[in-house]
Amino acid sequence: MGAFLYGISLQWKMDIRSKTLLITCYIVPLLFFALMGGIFTSVMPGAEKTLIQSMTVFGVSMGAMIGLPPSLVEIYSGGIRKVYKANGVPFCLGLVLTNISAFLHLFLMSVILYGAAPLVFDAEIPENPGAYFAGLAVFILVSLSIASVIGLAVKDQAKTSMFSILVFLPSILLSGIMFPEELLPAGFETLGKLFPAFWGYRLMTENAFRFENLLPLLLIFAAAAFVCGILLRRVRE
Amino acid sequence: MTNAIDIRGLKKSYGDHEVLKGLDFCVRQGEIFALLGVNGAGKTTALECIEGLRKYDSGQIAVHGRTGIQLQSASLPEHIRPMEAVKLFAGWNKTTPDRELLAALGIGELAGRQYYQLSTGQRRRLHLALALIGDPDILFLDEPTAGLDVEGRLSLHEQIQKLKALGKTIILASHDMAEVESLCDRIGILTAGKIAFTGTVGELHEKVGKHYHISVRTADGTAVYETDNIRDTLFSLLARYRESGTDILEIRTDRGSLERHFMKIAKGG
Repeated sequence: MGAFLYGISLQWKMDIRSKTLLITCYIVPLLFFALMGGIFTSVMPGAEKTLIQSMTVFGVSMGAMIGLPPSLVEIYSGGIRKVYKANGVPFCLGLVLTNISAFLHLFLMSVILYGAAPLVFDAEIPENPGAYFAGLAVFILVSLSIASVIGLAVKDQAKTSMFSILVFLPSILLSGIMFPEELLPAGFETLGKLFPAFWGYRLMTENAFRFENLLPLLLIFAAAAFVCGILLRRVRE
Repeated sequence: MTNAIDIRGLKKSYGDHEVLKGLDFCVRQGEIFALLGVNGAGKTTALECIEGLRKYDSGQIAVHGRTGIQLQSASLPEHIRPMEAVKLFAGWNKTTPDRELLAALGIGELAGRQYYQLSTGQRRRLHLALALIGDPDILFLDEPTAGLDVEGRLSLHEQIQKLKALGKTIILASHDMAEVESLCDRIGILTAGKIAFTGTVGELHEKVGKHYHISVRTADGTAVYETDNIRDTLFSLLARYRESGTDILEIRTDRGSLERHFMKIAKGG
């Protein structure tokens, strides 16, 4: 257990040293918040009611989809996985540690948004903070599971960025944070439902931990975890 | 002397390409054994099968003791510091790092640097330290000095000799014949997926037979002669050149190098 906890703290520190994660988990989401928060609240009446949720969905999606895969590619596509295996380190440790560390960083970034939005843009705080943070935790977990699939499936850093953006962009555009999904053509609305951002946004805005929003997220997570298991076995062999 | 490693009939294919066609050899306890072969001969595949990192198709591998492994393609996360890696790996192996050994390998001096800031030599030393964390009985070193400068190479040779003095069995793959000749007790030459020779460097010289090379340079070019009897051959060559009236511009003699003998075996000579 001590080695595992040390592994988590070490991964946390390495992530802070890595400029990529700092940029994707903190700097870009917070800059986006500073810029778009101002625009949303000035041009969209009532935007302050969902500003915390929409900025959080953007930040978490960005941090998970763009930030996590490169770390996994580094571990599982190069000499690191062999060194882990040769030195008795569990094969899945890299995946587990990077996910836990990314989860903590994304949760922290979300807490910063939660505290800053009301002060800067007079955003409304969710009525039920317990349900909000529970929904946030589920959303981060599911987003990281999708990011893990990208990181394990793609073996090349450049291709990883391309696949990450291919998932990130529709995820954000079709989630309902930029414009209501009712305005989208039916096909795009259906497509949006395949991404965790769509359900995560609803889970966090409805002030209740509703099963109909939770179930799709759990299904996406189960599918991603299953695929991760297969990919991990493939990499090991 | 008992064996640390016994390999019998080891076979491994990648698709239709059979890389190992039934390897048979052993490594004795406490010796330094070098596995030699030209590029693509299957050294790394053989080592990785023995280390348990790669599945093999058939055959038997018996490894008698704890193992430590330094890989040719080893890497670590870019932002990890050497002592953090040592602590992480020691934690998973439930051991305490040997401070004297870490000092001898100069790991303490690297404390403030991250992995991506280390030179090739520093990385090799770190990976050797990681391989030694579990206090292994048998140590695998795949191209341990590749990419190192002279100083780094000598320092690593010194460490390897110290480890042998501690009773550790060392099996290494290398392209550096001088390194093999100075370090190893026995060698195994891997050719076309099989072991073509195992024994000491002296036994290799005996097997190949011709101990000396004589190069004679004339205006027509350079001729090379191999012999076991350098004195008689030299006299007869001089007599032959005098009779033919050919002027000799230069004569060089040297003992047949391990490199030359290795190439003869490796090419099926």
